[in-house]
Amino acid sequence: MIRLAATFALLAAPQFATVASAQDFSTNSEAKTWNLYAEVPALFEGKIIDVMCELTGDCPPNCGDGERQLAILRSADDQIVMALKNNQAAFTGAVVDLLPYCGQTVTLDGLMIADEDFPIRNSYLVQRIKAADAEWATANQFTKVWAAENPDAKGKGPWFRRDPRINALIAADGYLGLGLEVDEAFKKYLFE
Amino acid sequence: MRRFIAAFMGLLALPALAAEGERITVTGEIIDTWCYYSGVMGGPDSVVGSAHHTCALWCSAAGIPIGLLAEDGTVYTILKLGAQDNATGGDTALRLASHTVTADGMFYARDGINYIIVEDVLEDFGIVNLTHEDYDVVPSFAIPEPKE
Repeated sequence: MIRLAATFALLAAPQFATVASAQDFSTNSEAKTWNLYAEVPALFEGKIIDVMCELTGDCPPNCGDGERQLAILRSADDQIVMALKNNQAAFTGAVVDLLPYCGQTVTLDGLMIADEDFPIRNSYLVQRIKAADAEWATANQFTKVWAAENPDAKGKGPWFRRDPRINALIAADGYLGLGLEVDEAFKKYLFE
Repeated sequence: MRRFIAAFMGLLALPALAAEGERITVTGEIIDTWCYYSGVMGGPDSVVGSAHHTCALWCSAAGIPIGLLAEDGTVYTILKLGAQDNATGGDTALRLASHTVTADGMFYARDGINYIIVEDVLEDFGIVNLTHEDYDVVPSFAIPEPKE
């Protein structure tokens, strides 16, 4: 009985969480490198959650329907892994890719950014997602969703050069955000 | 003995309890967390402030979480920004990209990440981190070259 209680106490101790967080999730990962200084391939299972709901208990339907930041509650150690990025090289987040799986337990493959000295932990680039018996889905949906939501912004060039809200702010405050006068002087220095 | 095990297993089966928050007031810069953490475009000093402002707009508009980089170097992932429910991708987040602000809100820490749910932006100092003086623009193509 004493030994059993001691075992449970050990499981509940903070250092157990540290041990769990140090688990190697790279086994069987097929994540492609982005040549990031602190990237570690990571394949793991977890539940897609609305982070604010998880922390505060304020839980709108469907993980906020795209209005909230999403994360993965990793099954192996109950840690929250923040989904910072999807698999597109176009400055795109992962909310659009994770939202269809809200509340579901899925398998994810991607790159963990881990640097205990920085420090940074549990921050993740999602490359692909697999639900139950479905095929893997690549996390690349942002630009498709953006195009559907911005039908008047069709044209040449990447989405971020055509986004109406971004363009309105740059038109008002410049690329540096310091006003058009500063911007013009800087562009002269940069290009002339 | 059985009661002890049953009680312990019952405890394990409970859903995770909401963390306890702490009210804080923080002054710092609103940053793009992906570029800051990943090093994808260079060191942390180059992906803040005016040099990185345009990229911060792109990343925020596309749903990458924004953070509040406090004066002591702590980064708080922003889950809500004032009256706007959606901290990332919303108009307030875009308007305040790269700005230094004083924010009042609830602080949570879990699994190595700090979070803040900003109730009020008490003061907006604008963009005061003039990193373009050292780094030009990051990435270098942020400002399109004028056509001849």
